Amino acid sequence: MSSSKAPSARKAPVSRRVRTSMPYVLLAIMCAALFVLPQFAGRQASAFNVYDALQLFSAYGLVALGVGLTMIVGEFDFGVLGVFALCPMIAVKLGEYNLLLGLGAALALAGLVGFLEGAIVAKLRVHSMPVTLGFYIALLGANIAIGNSQSVSFSNLDVGSALDAAQFSILSWRSIIAFLVFALVFVVMRFTRVGRDIRAVGGDRRASRMVGVEVDRVLIGVFVVSALCSALGGILLAYSFATALSNPGLFPLQFAVTAAIIGGVSLAGGVGGALGIAAGALTLSLLQELFSLLAAPTYLSSLITGILLVLATFIAAPDLAARWKSFRSPRPRALDGVVSPVPQPASK
Amino acid sequence: MTGVNSTTGGPAGSPATGRIAYFHFATLAVYAFVAVLAALIVFGAFATPGFLSISNLSAILTSTAFVGIIAVGSTLIMLSGSLFSISLGTTTAITAILFMFLLHYGVVAAIAGTLLAGTAIFAVQGALVGLIGANPIIVTIGAGAIQEGIIGWLSPGDITPPPGANIEFLARTIFGLPFSVYVFLGLALALDLCMRHTRFGLEIYLLGENQPAARAAGLPVSLLTTAAFAVAGFCVAVTGVLVAGFAQNVNLQVAGTYTFDAIAAILVGGSAVTGGWGSVGRTVIGALIIATVTDMLLLVGASTGMQILVKGLIVTTVVVLLHLSRRERRSP
Repeated sequence: MSSSKAPSARKAPVSRRVRTSMPYVLLAIMCAALFVLPQFAGRQASAFNVYDALQLFSAYGLVALGVGLTMIVGEFDFGVLGVFALCPMIAVKLGEYNLLLGLGAALALAGLVGFLEGAIVAKLRVHSMPVTLGFYIALLGANIAIGNSQSVSFSNLDVGSALDAAQFSILSWRSIIAFLVFALVFVVMRFTRVGRDIRAVGGDRRASRMVGVEVDRVLIGVFVVSALCSALGGILLAYSFATALSNPGLFPLQFAVTAAIIGGVSLAGGVGGALGIAAGALTLSLLQELFSLLAAPTYLSSLITGILLVLATFIAAPDLAARWKSFRSPRPRALDGVVSPVPQPASK
Repeated sequence: MTGVNSTTGGPAGSPATGRIAYFHFATLAVYAFVAVLAALIVFGAFATPGFLSISNLSAILTSTAFVGIIAVGSTLIMLSGSLFSISLGTTTAITAILFMFLLHYGVVAAIAGTLLAGTAIFAVQGALVGLIGANPIIVTIGAGAIQEGIIGWLSPGDITPPPGANIEFLARTIFGLPFSVYVFLGLALALDLCMRHTRFGLEIYLLGENQPAARAAGLPVSLLTTAAFAVAGFCVAVTGVLVAGFAQNVNLQVAGTYTFDAIAAILVGGSAVTGGWGSVGRTVIGALIIATVTDMLLLVGASTGMQILVKGLIVTTVVVLLHLSRRERRSP
């Protein structure tokens, strides 16, 4: 919070250090809370709770990775919700005949959807929100049509139990796969040009084009990866529960956006990375687990998620620093261009 | 339909010098798409048994009304350049629940209280967006989660109106059409006139078209954004009241797909998602197109999923084509 008071919050190194370390600080606080808070309620966090949180992470963390990447590149992908619904349905329906066929077809479909979205956004330069929203509605419709308005169960229970079997007491193959995907994205973004290009495109698209970044390819690639990630998250979840839902609702998006934002991704683009998103998603997963451990009612996690999201927006808001300055300044017009010389319309 | 926008829509299309003029393919594609859609609807109207009956046409209007009211209000958010709200459906459900609860204090108090609450809920979000430049999508997702949390905390399960509550008029049929249709058309007309002819409306257009210019011109940017959200919240609360009067039994799921249905109506109407271009009238047409196509699919026996699928395809197509045609006209 103190960072936003600084006159030039964006350039001050201290505030930047605060902001980049925020996701990991939050994660550490959350870890501590998971083991400390239940003591007051006479409960004890065990390895199983961590395992459970990681299971949650493996489903929705992957969606967060996808949404987060599109946010870093300065776009937004509602399509992940559609992919998260439809691909598990395909994987389950075709997986009845052949597991690899189902998995392959579902991932191929996700890749195609991501490619189409990315191509429309990159080549035609349409705003990504309405386009991906249209995709989401269409994919959800297709999902409901295929499932005939009902959830479809998967008869092959072995897959789920194999995926969910505990490894090293806190991991499962499901969470190992999720971590591997995160690690892959992290390594690619850290050690190849791709990561720099992605941030460059998100930071200033025109300038990146000028200096020779293949902007269109980066955009299309990010949308493909985004769709693949969230499809994988959905498929793993569906195999684990042996059910493909007819309509998973908005929760995956709520989780993903919150995780990305508290993971240090800015919606304005150009900021953030896989490690931060992982920290954000882990924080949220642990939070959910903490609530279930404390036997807190489910609405509480929804409430906290919302508050976190609004708080994060508040801290990240571009005009906040200027607002604060104008609030403290005796002259209301002291700030250039940000504040209108009109009475404040609403109380905070 | 386009009256207001002659400055941005029409003359901007004058061919630039120095480049060979060519056909506006995307603009033609838009006309072609509209023509095909119109032809399909006309063809379907005659080919689908039962479509042209009075009862079916009134069914279309009826099914448009709820989403339509939300959509015309939310059009102001989009026109003002703040994209859209992702918590339209949640707030609809919450205002419906609140209305049922407030009915203990009488119908008038319940309606007034509900409308006030809806307006306030959205105004706060608008203030966050307008005052500190917060991202509207994130703010509305967060606000939606908070509202879900609060309602989960306050109310377990379904809520029915208290006995003796006199709310039948909300679901009454007048001249063959339900009350909600009149509210929808009345609100749409009022908002359309307001956007075209009042200072407030024109300022919203300027804000959406060019925010730096609006600031430079000394417009109260934060106040306008707050007001645009407040109007949307008012409309959402109106739907909440009507839904409560219609359903008699409300819970958080009562407004199922309203959020994206309303946004789809605005987008299909053709208003620019980045703001500054479009109109409330367009949203009404968008809502009617969606309702007509959905109704037709229903009559030929298409499943719910198929209806949603077609809706999504129409939204995507319209968004892409309109964007291309607008780009062509702006920079030939």
